This record gives sequence, structure tokens and C-alpha cells, in this order.
Amino acid sequence: MEPPAEHVHWLFATGFLLLGLCLLARALVGEEIWSRRPWRAYLWPALLFGLGVLMWPVMVFYTNSTIHMVAHGAWAQTMMLAGAAELGLVRGKLHHTAWRLAMPLALAVSGTALLIHEQNGWLFARAAFLHHALGWTALIGAIFPLVGAFRRRSPVWSSGFALTLVVISVLLYSDRDVAPVFGHLSPFAGEPHR
Amino acid sequence: MKRVLLAAALLALALPAAASAHATLVRSTPAIQERLSGSPAFVRLRFDQSVKVLPNAIRVYTARGRLVSGETLTSPDKRMVDARLGQLPRGAYTVRWSALSADGHVISGIFTFGVRHRAPPATEAFGASGPTTEEHVVRWLYFLALALLTGGLGFRLLVLRSPLGPAAERRFYRVLGIGAVGAIEVGILAFLLRAGDALQLPFGRFLYGDLAPIAGGTRFGIAFVAMTLGFALVSALVFLAWLTDRTWPLWPALALSLAFASGLSLSGHSAADAGSSWVSQLADWAHLAAASLWVGGLVQLAFVVWPLEPELRRRAFLRFSRFATGLIVVILSAGIYLSVLRLPRLDDLWTERYGQVLLVKLALVSLALLWGAAHHFLVRPALERGAPLFARLPRSLAGESAVGMAILLAAAVLVDSKPPAQPVPQPPLAQQR
Repeated sequence: MEPPAEHVHWLFATGFLLLGLCLLARALVGEEIWSRRPWRAYLWPALLFGLGVLMWPVMVFYTNSTIHMVAHGAWAQTMMLAGAAELGLVRGKLHHTAWRLAMPLALAVSGTALLIHEQNGWLFARAAFLHHALGWTALIGAIFPLVGAFRRRSPVWSSGFALTLVVISVLLYSDRDVAPVFGHLSPFAGEPHR
Repeated sequence: MKRVLLAAALLALALPAAASAHATLVRSTPAIQERLSGSPAFVRLRFDQSVKVLPNAIRVYTARGRLVSGETLTSPDKRMVDARLGQLPRGAYTVRWSALSADGHVISGIFTFGVRHRAPPATEAFGASGPTTEEHVVRWLYFLALALLTGGLGFRLLVLRSPLGPAAERRFYRVLGIGAVGAIEVGILAFLLRAGDALQLPFGRFLYGDLAPIAGGTRFGIAFVAMTLGFALVSALVFLAWLTDRTWPLWPALALSLAFASGLSLSGHSAADAGSSWVSQLADWAHLAAASLWVGGLVQLAFVVWPLEPELRRRAFLRFSRFATGLIVVILSAGIYLSVLRLPRLDDLWTERYGQVLLVKLALVSLALLWGAAHHFLVRPALERGAPLFARLPRSLAGESAVGMAILLAAAVLVDSKPPAQPVPQPPLAQQR
């Protein structure tokens, strides 16, 4: 009944790609122009919040190990928190600058959870490599929204944040051995395990 | 150097993974919680990827803890692990397994089966010690979170529907937020504690323990899945109400939080023990829902309306007093029915541990009833006559809520305790002959 894990990864990869593209468009045209239509200001935070809500079924249905369950729970909560904080700021319900730190915090916590839940070295397997790459991308990428929280008009930091999400989405698309991106090159390359 | 690194990175992405994650048990023979008509010759585990067999990888125990499995055997298909069994007599059996996954992690799990006998859930397998003190505390915190969430929603929608000032509104949502987040977090903690007790693994190996038979094969696990999803949705609805300054999302949030609270009734004594029926499950749910509405409503009255909305104090108190009367009737009727059902003999009250905990709970309930009666029969008529508000009333309301929370602690211990065995009905004399 459960969809294959790769489908779930691709679903979230698509979500992150849309998020990244929205943020990239905002960085390119500037926040004033992006927010001319009020719904556009809500678009990416609502998407992020929705992705957080969608992560809960992943957490409760993929319980093949404790560490995966806890990691998925951490991602669900951080995405909901970051999306909720951004929505509150856009709506004018939250005012304190500290709420802008929810996004870098979410990226940092998510990256840490990714690195903790992958206990093998970088080159142990492709999945291990990607988990390390995802974890460090999120962890280092947290610097962009962190600085961007204090330099709101700088396109460098907002573009960096957007590109971080695009990179995360590409890595997520590649995170399974049956992924169409970087898939099997040769049937002799290794013992298939699925 | 840069090119080499780039090429290495692309190569690592391109090569098929030896393991995308650690191995997962996909099938077992006998199946999880399967009731067999005869003794199985072997136990077979089928994983989704190759595993290395560890010594004593599959251990099968009787309900009394006797090891009945033989040596673990490797199979030509490296995804399969077998263990031979002798002739097993009628009874319940626990399978504890472990294997070395291709990613280097030792994965472990547990499941049960029965030979001409009902297989117990994994949480009652051989080796599981049952609820611990930590689980009592966690269950209490869960009840508190439910009360803050459900009671807060009920108070806002059923007792005091008039708009609140900004400060009171903020505190109302803060209390609700603590309840919603608490229901999710404490629910996860409760599940992990119960799974840890069933798996009986050191922490490092518990991280790679297979929780699927507990999440999908026990009433507790299924309730955890449903309630986590339900309360995640409730949190989203509460957030939407706060964000848009509209109360309509709170209605589905209240309905869902009341509905998903039934997960506790559908996985507890009222559903699993002898003598349970849909009536006992309904009574248990009504008992819990009414208690949550009562305690959570008291918290809203004492800590939100009283300090921040002086104009609404009188109206809120009078309305809540009427609302609480109905709740007390439900709590008492359902509680008496469930007590009689679970304790068929009066002396069970002082001879059985379950009865002793129930006595403590009844003492606390009596105290709360006296407190509530004082509010209802002394304070309420005076306020209805237009008398000034009593200076000590806020402290008194806080005291009543504290007693309500203490009742929830007694309830948490009670839920985790085993009721005495029901007397087995004797067949008529004619049938015995």
C-alpha cells in the first residue's frame, strides 16, 4: 500500500524545486515587485508549511528504524515551524526579527538530522554520499537565510538561499538507486539489492 | 584537483548504490501475529536487500522465555535468513531477530506468532516488561496536552464565543499551541518508550530497531499513527485560525481533536480487555473527552480570561459553570460504568493494585467535585445576583485546575495498570455432565 520510497523522495524534491524557483524569482525581481500581488508573498511559506504537514505521513508509515522515524519527525517539525514563522511575518502577525531566524534554524536542524541519521562515510554508497551532501548543503546553506535576515535587500543572500533549495531538490531527486537522474549505468556495476 | 573531485562526485552519484539505506524486513514466515493451526518447521525472514547472518540471528521464545529455535541458517538468496524449529506445542511465541545490513548497521526487530493460540501484540511479547514510571509520566503529559488543546478549543467555541482582546487572544493561541505541539511530541515519546520496552535493545541498536510491527501490528501503534497524523492536521488548522483571525478553522480542529482522542480509548483497556465492547469504548472516549474539556476549560478561565479580560470574567464564569455541570455528569456516569466493568468485586478496590490506584483517583475526583460544587452552589448564585467578584476566585479556579491535572496523573497510572482478571463464567451444570 505504501508508495516506493523513491516516489516520496521525488515528491519532496519537486516541492523543494518549486520553493527554490519561487525564491529565485523573488531574488531576481526584488521583493517589492514580487509582493505586488499579495498572494505571491504567501506562496513559498505556504508551500514550505504544506511540505511540513505532508512529512508527517512519511514519519508514521516508514518506521523501519527508529532513527529514520525521528529524523523524518524533525524535518516535519522544522518545515512547519519555518513556514509558519514566514507566514506570520508576511501576514503581519509576527514582528520580531528573531522570527526570521526560524528558516536558518530549520535548515541547520534538518542538515544536522541528515548527517546524524547517516552513519556511514561519504563514499560508502551513493545514498551515503547524497545524505552527506544534503546534510552539509543544508547546514552551510543556512548561512544564506541567516545573513539575509539582517540584509533583507541583498540579492546575493536571497539568491544563495534559493539556489541552496534547488541543490537540495537535485540531490533528493538522485537519492535512490532507481532514480532516473544518475541511475544505473551498467547491470554489472554492482549487486542489485531491490 | 577540482576536476578530480568533480569527477569523483559525479561517479559516486552515477554508480548504483550498494545500499540506499539499511535493510528492511519485508516478509516473515510465520507472518507477524499469525495464528497457525500447526507447528511451523522453521522461521524465515525475507529482507529487501542482502544481509549478513549473525550468530543466533533468530531466537524464538515461548511465552515463559524458553528458547525453542535452532541454529540460524544462511540461504543462497542473501536476502533470506532461516532458523529451524522443533515441534512446538500450543502457545504464543516471540521471535527476536537481528542481522547485519549491507550498510554496516545491525538491524533488529521483534514479532510474535501463535500455534493454535492467539499471538499477543509485540508490546506484550516475551521480554517486554510493561509500562514503566517514565511511561506513566509521559502518558500524564499526553493527557495534559490533550486537555490544553481540546479544552481550550471547547472553551473558545462552546463557552465564550465573543471576541477577545489582542493580549488574551495571543495567550489563548499560545496555550493551544503548547497543547497541539505537546500532543504530537509526547505521542512520539510515548511510542518510542513502548517500542523500546518491546525491543529490549541497548540505545545504539534501538536506533536501528524495526518499529513496523509495533506501529502497524498493535492497537497502541495504530493509535499512534492515527493520532500523530490527526494532531498534525489539528495544529495546521489552529495555525490557520491564528493567521487569518477567523474562528471557523477551530471547529474542524475541535471535531478532529475530539475524534482522534478516541485513539486512546480504542487502544486501551476498554478495547482490549475481557468484557470490552463498543459501549465500553464509547464510555471511555466520553470520559476522556469530557475530562479534557473540563480541565482545559478551567485553564482558559483561570489563566487567560481572568487575568486579561476583566469585562468577560463574570460571563465566562457563569457560562463555564453551566457547561462544566454537563461535563461532570458525563465524567461520573462513564467513570462509574467503567469501574463496575473492570472491577466486578468490591474488594478489588483495596486488594488489587488497579483498585488502589482507582481509590486514589476517586479521592481526587471527590475533592474536585467539592471544589466545583462550592463554585456552582455558592459563587455562581452570588454572581448571578450581581454581587462583586470574589478576590480569591482566581486562586480558587487555579486550585481546581491543579486538582484536575492531578486526576489526570492518577488516570495515566490507571490506564497503564492491568485491571484484575474477569471471572470466567462457569458452564451450566447440565453441560458439565
